[in-house]
Amino acid sequence: MQSAPAADEADGWVAPTWEQVVRDHSARVYRLAYRLSGNAQDAEDLTQETFVRVFRSLADYSPGTFEGWLHRITTNLFLDMVRRRQRIRFDPLPEDTERLPGRAPSPEQVYTDTHLDPQVQAALDALAPEFRVAVVLCDIEGLTYEEIAATLGIKLGTVRSRIHRGRVQLRQALAHLAPRRPAVTGEVGA
Amino acid sequence: MNIPESHLAQEAIAALVDGELTAGPAARAARHLTGCAQCRMAVQAQREAKEALHSSADVAVPGDLMSRLCAIPFTADVPGTGGDGSISAAPGGLTVTGTSGSWSVDLGTERPRRGSPGRRWLRRGMAGTLVGLGAGVTALAMTLPPDAAPEPAADPRPERHTEVTVPVWRAVTVGTSAVIPQGGTP
Repeated sequence: MQSAPAADEADGWVAPTWEQVVRDHSARVYRLAYRLSGNAQDAEDLTQETFVRVFRSLADYSPGTFEGWLHRITTNLFLDMVRRRQRIRFDPLPEDTERLPGRAPSPEQVYTDTHLDPQVQAALDALAPEFRVAVVLCDIEGLTYEEIAATLGIKLGTVRSRIHRGRVQLRQALAHLAPRRPAVTGEVGA
Repeated sequence: MNIPESHLAQEAIAALVDGELTAGPAARAARHLTGCAQCRMAVQAQREAKEALHSSADVAVPGDLMSRLCAIPFTADVPGTGGDGSISAAPGGLTVTGTSGSWSVDLGTERPRRGSPGRRWLRRGMAGTLVGLGAGVTALAMTLPPDAAPEPAADPRPERHTEVTVPVWRAVTVGTSAVIPQGGTP
């Protein structure tokens, strides 16, 4: 009565289908891509490219590390994208000018897309990419410092300082965008 | 009663907010905070920034993106990525076997769009991978189904996908994720 599926179950791991992989992980990848890039078009491109990489490397995949793997691919692709655009900015005559300007979506669009306060997303977009990645992985994705260090290939101390500086800047940007937001003054009655 | 401690390091402030300080330093930080309004303010500022992000809800994946993701097995070129992987194919899907397990990639569930992309993808992807392994390509081409892939069974399992075994898939390593040089932080 020993069948192959039973053997699979004994191993404790059954290979999922590609559709399952997409269903289970696309929301997280897309959210991360959106928080990092700040717009739906880039988020879709990043998500698509992430899953293409996943598909190509399925043979190297080891169970149990999938989330970390996805975080790493997505953030690396995002940082690549940012650096590519920084280089393009210095090109005298960029070829595809159409996609460079007009990246910033309207606040309504941001909210419809992500349900994140548009001002928070705008403040996030104002952060340097390295800080943004650290803060998003920590505060939105809920990764530990150690996981972030592994994801980005940086030291723990660097993670700490990027998160700290990123949050300081985020808060300043928020105060700038929404002056009504209470400032720190008077919060520490002593 | 004791000498005033220096202010908390910025890194410690972030770590404190995230619960990333070990017991000793956390206790020292708490002691310091009771007497230092400046550091309390810094901690509060970090908390506020964290909470602003924390309140973000889930994002729905656009439907068309979802279907593009599901179609990746049909649309993506599959270069070898190094490692000891092998791939075996059947009309309904692929099984990718790596060092740590095997995956079934179901090619049958997606409705073919233009012609029969599943079969085309098999030809293109595999032929690309296997150029130079003449025998393998010939065998594969001959074993490919002559017409459209049969309608998939309800639950295709990996063990179904073993009719055609392609020679071991070995290729030069192509970086799977780009190497990110650590740029200076501004």
